Formats: sequence, C-alpha cells, structure tokens
Amino acid sequence: MAEKEYLMGNEAMGRGAIEAGVKVVAGYPGTPASEVLEYVSKYPDVHAEWCINEKVALETCMGASLCNTRSLAVMKHNGTNVALDFIMHLNYTGVRGGLVLISGDDPGGISSQNEEDSRIITRLDAHLPVFDPWCPQEAKDMVKTAFELSEETELCFVVRPVMRVCHARNTVSMEDIKEAKEPHFEDDRSRFIMSAVKEVKAGGTLRPVVRHRWLNEKQPVLAKIMEDSPFNHIEDGEGKIGMVTCGIGYAFVKEAEKILDKKFPVLKLGTLPLPKNKVLQFASKMDKLVVYEDSEAVVEGILKQFFYDEGVKVEVVGRSGFLPREGELSTTIVLKSLAALYPELEKQIPKTVPLEMKVPIRTRTQCVGCQYRGLLHALKLAAHKYKGVVTGDIGCYDAGSFPPLELQSTIYCMGSSIPMASGIAHSGYDRPVFAIIGDSTFFHNGVLGLLNAIHSGVDMVAIVCDNRTTAMTGFQPHPGSDIDVHGEPTLAIDVARLATTAGAASARVVNPYDIPQVKEALEKAVKEKGVSVIVATEPCYLVSRRTGELGFTPRKVVLDPELCNGCKICVTFFGCPSIHFGDGKATIDYGTCVECGMCVEVCPRGAITWS
Amino acid sequence: MELNILIAGVGGQGNLFASSILAEYLLKKGHKVLAVETIGAAQRGGSVVSHLRVSDAEIYSPLIPAGKVDILMGFETIEMLRNFELLAGDGIYLLNDYKEPTVLCNMEMDTYPSDEEIRAALEKSGKKGYTIKATECARQIGGSLLTNVVMVGALCQISPLFDSQEVKRVLAGKSPAKVKEQNRQAFDAGGSLIQEAMR
Repeated sequence: MAEKEYLMGNEAMGRGAIEAGVKVVAGYPGTPASEVLEYVSKYPDVHAEWCINEKVALETCMGASLCNTRSLAVMKHNGTNVALDFIMHLNYTGVRGGLVLISGDDPGGISSQNEEDSRIITRLDAHLPVFDPWCPQEAKDMVKTAFELSEETELCFVVRPVMRVCHARNTVSMEDIKEAKEPHFEDDRSRFIMSAVKEVKAGGTLRPVVRHRWLNEKQPVLAKIMEDSPFNHIEDGEGKIGMVTCGIGYAFVKEAEKILDKKFPVLKLGTLPLPKNKVLQFASKMDKLVVYEDSEAVVEGILKQFFYDEGVKVEVVGRSGFLPREGELSTTIVLKSLAALYPELEKQIPKTVPLEMKVPIRTRTQCVGCQYRGLLHALKLAAHKYKGVVTGDIGCYDAGSFPPLELQSTIYCMGSSIPMASGIAHSGYDRPVFAIIGDSTFFHNGVLGLLNAIHSGVDMVAIVCDNRTTAMTGFQPHPGSDIDVHGEPTLAIDVARLATTAGAASARVVNPYDIPQVKEALEKAVKEKGVSVIVATEPCYLVSRRTGELGFTPRKVVLDPELCNGCKICVTFFGCPSIHFGDGKATIDYGTCVECGMCVEVCPRGAITWS
Repeated sequence: MELNILIAGVGGQGNLFASSILAEYLLKKGHKVLAVETIGAAQRGGSVVSHLRVSDAEIYSPLIPAGKVDILMGFETIEMLRNFELLAGDGIYLLNDYKEPTVLCNMEMDTYPSDEEIRAALEKSGKKGYTIKATECARQIGGSLLTNVVMVGALCQISPLFDSQEVKRVLAGKSPAKVKEQNRQAFDAGGSLIQEAMR
C-alpha cells in the first residue's frame, strides 16, 4: 500500500491498531484521546465500544486478549487512574493477544482537571513498558510495534501521547492491514487467577510474589528490546551539553535548533524502560544533560539513578527545577533554556512584544439554548433560598461553577459530587446539600456514589443532568443513550428507574427547560428524608438543533426597558450570553438568541415576555 | 520556504474547516504541512486557535513558536489580540472586524476594549495588517457561518503561496452541495474585500 494520508495523531494511532489487526477496541471518551476509537469504529470488522468507564474498557480488552485477540484500550490520563486497579493486576498476569493501552496526557491541563503524567502510574508503579511518541507518524508506528512486542513479551504495552501529538495533523504512511488470528481460549489458572494462594510449583510461595517475580524478570527482556528500538537514537552536535528529549520534547528541541541554526548533541528517547547503554554512551561525552519531557521529571530521575549506579559523573537537569516544573513544554521554553546555557544565543530568540492592552478572558458557560441553564437557574434559587451547598462534577454543566453563576462549590474527578455531598451532610452541617452530575459521569463512576449515599441513610438531593450523550467530549454515547458508537439502536438504562430500584426517596423526572417544574421538584426534594433524585432529561441542545427535535417551541421574546429595574437576576442567576447588561438595564441580543424563552421565567418583574 | 498561519476565533466559526481547506491545497502542491488546534474545554463560544505550518523542509513543532507567526488571521477581534504577541517581526495580521463579547463583558463584569483602544494598540505595535468586515459580508451572502470562507478568500490575495482559483477548487470539493454556491460567493467576496482594504 504505502500511500500517505493527512491524519490527526489520534486517527494515526487508530490506523496503527487497524494495521496491526486489532479486533476489540474499548474506551471511555476524554480529551485528548477520543478520536482514536471514533476512527476505528469506521471499520466494520472491529468491535469498537464506548464503555461505562476506563476500568471496564480495559477489562473488556483483557477478556479479548485471553482469546488471543488483539485489543486496544483508549482513555485519557484521568481515566487511566480509574483503570489503575486493573492495571496493577494485569501487569502480574501478562496478556495473550497483543494488548495496547493508549493513555492521552494533557500537560498544561488545557482540557482536564489536572496535568498529571501517566508515565508515573503505568511505568513507575505498574512497571509496564511505555512508548512516548513525538509526532503522529511515530505514534502510529509505536502502536503497531506495541502490538507485536506485547505478544512477544506477554505484557500490556502503554502508548502515552500528549495532547499536541493526539491533535497534530500530519502526513502519515498507510500500510497493509494484518490478518487477525482466530479467537481461542485455554485455561491457565495459575496465571489468570490472581489470589493469595500458595504455589506448589514455587515451593509454596504465595502467587502474588511469584507473579511479581515474573514481572520483574521481564524487565531485562524489555531493556534489551528498547536498546535496539528505532524509537531511541543519538544525534551528534556541538558542545558538551547533551539535549535529552522524551516524546514531544524532541519536536520542540528540533524546532529550536532550526530557529538557532545550530546542531546540539541530542539523545532522542521514546521508550520506557530507557536504552541504558545508549544513555551511557551519550552521557560519556557530555558534561551536562538537559532532559526535555512532559510533564514530570520521570526520565530525569531514572537517568540520575543510572549515573549513580554506574558511578558516572554528569550533571542532569530538567523539569525538577531548571525547566518549569508545571505546564507544557514549548519551543519558547526550550529556547530560553538554551539561552541560559549559551548566553550568546539570547539574541537569536524571536522577539515578541506584548500588545499594550488588557484582553478579556472567555470563561466557559453553557451554550445559548442549553437546557442546563434553566436547571442551574432553578438550582441556584433553591441553594440561595435554603443556604445550601452544591457539589459539582465533570461535564458541560460544570460551567455553572464559574462566574456569573458561581453555583457549584466543588469539582474534583468523575463521580465525586454525590459522595462529597454525602460527606458534607454526614458532617452534621445543618443545611441542605445538593449534588449535580451529568449522565455520562453518573454511569462512569457516579452510580456507586449514589448507591452508597442511599445505603448510608443520608439526606440529600442528587440531580442528574441527562442529555443522553457525552456532550463535553463530542457527543459519544453512554449506557443511558439509546444508540451505540455506530449510531445503531441499543438498550438505554433509565436513571430514574435505577434510582427508584436502589431505594432513593424519590426520583423525579423533569424537563430542564421547564423552570417552574424544576423549582417544584427541588422544593419537594429538599424537604424529603433520604436521597432525593431529580433527573433533568432533555437531549443536548446542539444535538436536537441538528435533528430538528427541539425541546422548546422557538418564539421571540421582548424585554421591556421600562419594567427592567436592573436587579441583574438574569445575569447572576441565569447568565445567558444573549442577555446583555449595560447602563443599568438588560437587553436581548437577537443576533445570538435562539428563542428558547427560558428567560421569560427568570425575570421576577416580568420585564421579559413572549413577543 | 516556510509559512506559519495562526487562525484565532471562537467555537462555531469554522476555524477548523478553514485550516483544512488550506492544508489540503498545500498538500496537493507538494508541501509539508503540520497543523494543530487548541480547543480546550470549549463548547460554542470558547476560544479556538488553529496552527497551520507549511514548509518544504522538516517541520517539528505542531505549535507555531512565539514570534514566528507570519500571518495571524483573527476571525474575532479579541481572539486575534489575545494571540498578537505570537506574530513575527514582519508578520501581518488579517482581522475580521467582528466582536463577540465575552459573557462577563455582556454583564458589565468585564470590559470589551473599545475600537479606539484596539486601533491605538495595533498602531503602536507597528505591525502591518488589514481589517475587513468578513462576518458582515458573510451575513449578506447567506449567514455568519460563511465568515471562515470569506477570510480564506481574503488570505489567498495577501499570500503569494495561495492560488485563488486552485484553493476555490479545493473548497468546492469539500463543500456540501447545498452550500457550494454560497461558499464560492463568500470566497470571491473575501478577495474583493481585501483588495479594497489594500487600496
């Protein structure tokens, strides 16, 4: 084949898996990695599935691997945390069919709650081999190679691309698709039953120790493979300061070389474990090494350990302080660091002059027409009236925590809202507590929190924002959706019925566009004992606008400036971008208004009415 | 040859479509292209930035380094200003005179800069550039969603790397049937607008 196509890094990785003959691909959506699964779902012979969460996705993949089938798990770094419990056992048992885990990292936290480096849990904790690509082509090559090596070593391989690799678009070579093996299952209980049993064959040693030893014995095998890996190489250059690049770090260092018209000694690394001999060979000619990696000082630490063990005297600096300890790398950061090492280079750094003015920032808010704005409005009124606390979760509705609404008091990780609300109530704090969580997040990890809250006997209100899709990451289906990744009909799980069955005090289904209905539900719920569940059901506005099945009848609204007294409730308790405020009065921006009419209910003076 | 184009706008303005038209044309011409978008956790109305890099030599960083942007296309005024610092010394800007106020500006919790402030800051920067009313023009043709195409039409007149007729063919190939004619009109209108601005 050997054609070339212009692909996004995520698509390139998906293509790599397809070429490797992958048969099962499972994941949970999350920026920056979502498009990998969307790409492979276009191949009808592959089972592609958005799972309830990342742990379930990885377990699904391991099931396929047991049958000698190649499988791919896709998630973002936060999701890899969710799968960690399974990862920490999978590393002991090993795999059969090639199993690759793509864990997309987001250094800089551009689209995440944190900027953690998933090399730490996958490599330093789980001792799995990790590939760290610098560009879409290498990301594709790494996925393909990972499948081969996964079968060769019987280990799950991790590919850890950062956002700029996932989202970069570049020309990528297309190669032939490998034929998949026939599925086959055979028992091996001494391996696939992970339990604290004594192994007779190992003289009565407990199985966890035996399997841990197996994992440790794999490390020299991996080290040898990485020594010869094409993903690591040395480039000669001027000077005695060596530039050690990991993953995307290579892109920024090479870019800096281009700008400076210089060639530095470069050790390009893309694997963990590191190629120790190559590292020692490179270091032997250097006085100092600078490690460029996103985002924690992982390789820097490993190098220091190598040099200590081998008695090599070379200074190693990097993300532990010489380079910024937080945020993502950039060409500018590399240039500045080079100028710190070689002051004469300072004048070659491209000059930038900041514009002399303050540019307003854009805070995230609900889209104009989003049904959750009505829900958030009613909830803010209730929270205000009862001086309650609202805990938040991950998803579109979390924009209610930013100005002007400032409703939710907490946002942590998927599913934290309900347990945290429960904890606040159990503390004895004598005010109503509300948790607000989206549907995809509810299924992902929120449902356990709800069951726990019900069982704990707490009094609280849990609001599930049910828009039938994972809107934030690009409309992927979840177990509450009635379609799968291909758009084919499938069973949708009903949140209200689930809550009722579990023993919630009540489970009221409301239309979030209908503010009086939501208010009434909240009024009743707040007075109940036990966990009251409110399910605000209405398809995402962006989806319903596309399908033409809007949750409201569009009608023009008018604002009477005589009746508007400038109370700003439409701003601080609603915050629709189509309502502008100036000179003490609100006005409607008809250029952006989509005529959902929710604001008619919002104005306490009746200044906004249907036209 | 190396050219770095940064497109700054807000979600829903078709930033990505503009970048993909240009990329497809450049790839057809045999250049190396590397692009990336920064979207963040933005739904409609959030900041969106597309980096498009073209060269005949190897390109490494998908993000255009600060001070290396040759053409800064602003689909929205403050989004362009936000990225202005990335412009190269001899870089030029192409601004769509269109303002999408932030939610906080709408609510008097923040201030959208005035035309005078913007003009003064741009003048003081000493950078060369053009301002056209692309969204206004798009609305006359068929809707503000055509803004991106008007801007692409304008870009093709200011950079010799782009052959308007050929870019238009790529555009036609990527346009759904029902908007093909509107896209063609919007593209041509962009070219006319910039020619007026250059006069």
